[in-house]
Amino acid sequence: MTNPFLPEEMRLVRRYDLTSDVRFFQVRPVDMDRALSLRYKPGQFMMISLAGAGEAPFSISSTPSRPGMLEFCIRKVGRVTTELFKRKENSLIGVRGPYGNGFPLEKMIGKDNLIVVGGLGAAPLRSLLLYILDNRDKFGKFYFLHGAKTPEEMLFRKEFFEIKERDDLNCHLTVDVDEKGQWPFHVGLVTDLFSKVEELDPENTYATVCGPPAMYKFVIAEFLKLGIPKHQVLMTLERRMHCGIGKCGHCAIGPIYTCLDGPVFSYWDVLHMKDLI
Amino acid sequence: MKALKLKRDDLYTYLESLKSYGELWGPVAKGEKYVYARLTNVRDVALGALRTIIPPKKFFVPPRFTMFRYTDDHYAESFDDVKPRVLFGLHPCDIHGLLILDELFLERFPDPYYKRRRDATAIVGLSCIPDDKCMARSTNTHAVEGGFDLAFNELGNNYLVWIGSSLGDDLVRLNLDLFSEDIEPEDLKTYLAWRRKRDSRYKLSFDLTGMPDIMELSWDSPMWNELAEKCLACGSCSMVCPTCNCYNVRDVSDLTLNSGVRERHWDSCMNKEYALVAGGHNFREARAERLKLWYTHKLKAFITEYGKPSCVGCGRCIDTCPVDINVAEVIRGLTGQKVTL
Amino acid sequence: MNNKPKVGFYSFSGCEGDLLTILHCEDELLDIFSAVDIRSFRMASSERHDDENLDIAFIEGSITTNKHVKKLKVIRERSKIVVALGTCACYGGPQSARLGYNDWEERFKKVYGSAKLTVAKPFESQPLDEFIKVDYRIPGCPIDKYQFFYALTRLAKGMPVELTKFPVCAECKWNENECLLLKGQLCLGPITAGGCNSRCPNHGLPCIGCWGPTDEANVASEINLLKEKDFSAEEIINKLRLFGGAGMVRRFGELLGIKPKEEKTLSKTQGVSKKKREKK
Repeated sequence: MTNPFLPEEMRLVRRYDLTSDVRFFQVRPVDMDRALSLRYKPGQFMMISLAGAGEAPFSISSTPSRPGMLEFCIRKVGRVTTELFKRKENSLIGVRGPYGNGFPLEKMIGKDNLIVVGGLGAAPLRSLLLYILDNRDKFGKFYFLHGAKTPEEMLFRKEFFEIKERDDLNCHLTVDVDEKGQWPFHVGLVTDLFSKVEELDPENTYATVCGPPAMYKFVIAEFLKLGIPKHQVLMTLERRMHCGIGKCGHCAIGPIYTCLDGPVFSYWDVLHMKDLI
Repeated sequence: MKALKLKRDDLYTYLESLKSYGELWGPVAKGEKYVYARLTNVRDVALGALRTIIPPKKFFVPPRFTMFRYTDDHYAESFDDVKPRVLFGLHPCDIHGLLILDELFLERFPDPYYKRRRDATAIVGLSCIPDDKCMARSTNTHAVEGGFDLAFNELGNNYLVWIGSSLGDDLVRLNLDLFSEDIEPEDLKTYLAWRRKRDSRYKLSFDLTGMPDIMELSWDSPMWNELAEKCLACGSCSMVCPTCNCYNVRDVSDLTLNSGVRERHWDSCMNKEYALVAGGHNFREARAERLKLWYTHKLKAFITEYGKPSCVGCGRCIDTCPVDINVAEVIRGLTGQKVTL
Repeated sequence: MNNKPKVGFYSFSGCEGDLLTILHCEDELLDIFSAVDIRSFRMASSERHDDENLDIAFIEGSITTNKHVKKLKVIRERSKIVVALGTCACYGGPQSARLGYNDWEERFKKVYGSAKLTVAKPFESQPLDEFIKVDYRIPGCPIDKYQFFYALTRLAKGMPVELTKFPVCAECKWNENECLLLKGQLCLGPITAGGCNSRCPNHGLPCIGCWGPTDEANVASEINLLKEKDFSAEEIINKLRLFGGAGMVRRFGELLGIKPKEEKTLSKTQGVSKKKREKK
């Protein structure tokens, strides 16, 4: 019997700083066949394990449409992340997963999509963004709205600037404040960017949001204003987890475990399951 | 399911025979309470024991155990050497408790630590007459149809012995001469009379139908804050609950620093840090929220998911909580009965 | 050798039981000495390097004189991380049992009469964090060696330390002890920080709270419960204060009949200080 708690050895291939406290990590199973056959969905997460420090869950930032490499976008906040930031390129780390439900791609295909990201919310939603771009013909209209506090704090700046140039989606970037006056795009809250959203067929749109807790209320209100049905408004949630597989109990919310039944939930789930957000 | 008879007087002889299968464990007295302990002397078994301080979950998920030994970043699985063993004297509620743990630990993503211990363990049940803290009849866990290898039921001067598995059949064969297949019509009478006696002894009786709805409607009930004011948040309720399965994981380094163990230990959702995430956000900061989670999980969530509560009515929380917050009081509170906190 | 963290062990007012606990770890002592670079440990070695900077200072004992304060502040200045070791350092210990009553001078006179102390100016015993910022607390009277090892290895690897957060009751249940509180004894298990493996209840003795209160100690409910069990308010309060010291007085002073003096260190809890938590 395989031990689902046993971390798999993976190589930290590359790492670089996205902001002053957020770092990007590329990780690959040591065995190349395994690396190429590893399947996951946008919205799923992995448990990263560092001997001595412990384990913690992290959203996958890469897309399964580019196999061979797992990517994470991680803020240094706790015990495991502090240790992870010390790890050098080419070192081995423990990883297990993927876990969680991920985004309901089968339902989202053929639909219009609207993704709204605030700050570190880019970590899980970059996966969905890239997946849609890599399978562009399978999806309808596509809006990507991303807000950060300052230009310096916008994750994946370079990548998003390039994406912004593409003509097969509507990508809008904003920052809350631009003290140095260098920001070439909109300055203001991410909800301002909804003024650029037009021509979506709300009944046939999936709207996805991830960001700091304070953002949800306002963004969801905008989604609903557009007429997007509640069960098509998606979000990914964070909880404490020690196992990722429905055993340790920490992520329980009512009858569900965030690790098994989430972390992706619809706004309808949130409304009818108390305590979700 | 096959039933045999064993003379009461032959019980100790048979328990001795069970040792040829493996280590024999059963309830023994500890002060005024009971604990499951190794029965080196079969006569130490406390046949009248109702509830042990902690439930038999300790055999399958010990309070603290090592999952891995690591050296640098290499992990080696660590399994305790679990020898074949027989747990004697599990009451129906505790067997139901194990069945619930089975759902959690053996279904999606089977837990190998649990499975190994479970596989190595034979379960021998024993009937009981409830006391004023038992409420298994309300949770419909006062009888068992499965989840055991053998189940002993009081039957006058005999035990009625149900064989619940092929392993159970093997266990009977360890001393087949002690058992009789002759079940007389009189035995049925005795059995039915015993059942009536058992059922009449339940002092606690609750109607748990519609509990999820009642809990939903009680979400904002002031009761939760009232309970939280008394609650010591000591977590004892979780430790003694046969179906509480939450745990924490932590790495403990050796002093050499490059090696150590990843260990797992029981946790309780009553602990303040239970839902604390890196970065400092606590999803359940208030004690009332944590109490609500505990009871929601027993009386609502599990019913929604599995069609039955995850309370098996063993009465341990009633017996344990120093400030008398327990499943009976909460049900009373939720259903508008007088709460005697 | 030296990437190893430089560590110092210091002792103020107390029985030195915490440092003794470390010295008594015969089987692990060599490993301790090889895990970190011990620069000062009076009980173990006469060699001292009191002028260098340290990565970690472990300090036991409470602060009772102006000389202590001076020395303590110097240690703080020289050390990246300061760990209060043992209940005296964390909360003041039994010698702080009467904190907040403002009767220290009276008591002092009772013992020493009008004798003048010339070596140093004494005052009522206080925990370290009354004078300096403490990064971590390892409580216990004495400390538990495994908890010390845990903290030491974490710090040596440059990781934050998270000590056991649950109360004594949890481990007491793991050890399948009969509940002494339910048997009518004055047990402080539910409100006392665990990690001791329920040392006292394992031997049939009620918990006396020697690890100080848990983060979430519901002292009010504990007091009510004990009163219901017919203990007098005085008995209960004395027991709470015996080892609770500043840990009790600062957070639960009002329940003990004392007005809270200042909020200063109120939010600091066992483990990471609030300030540090917020910084993360």
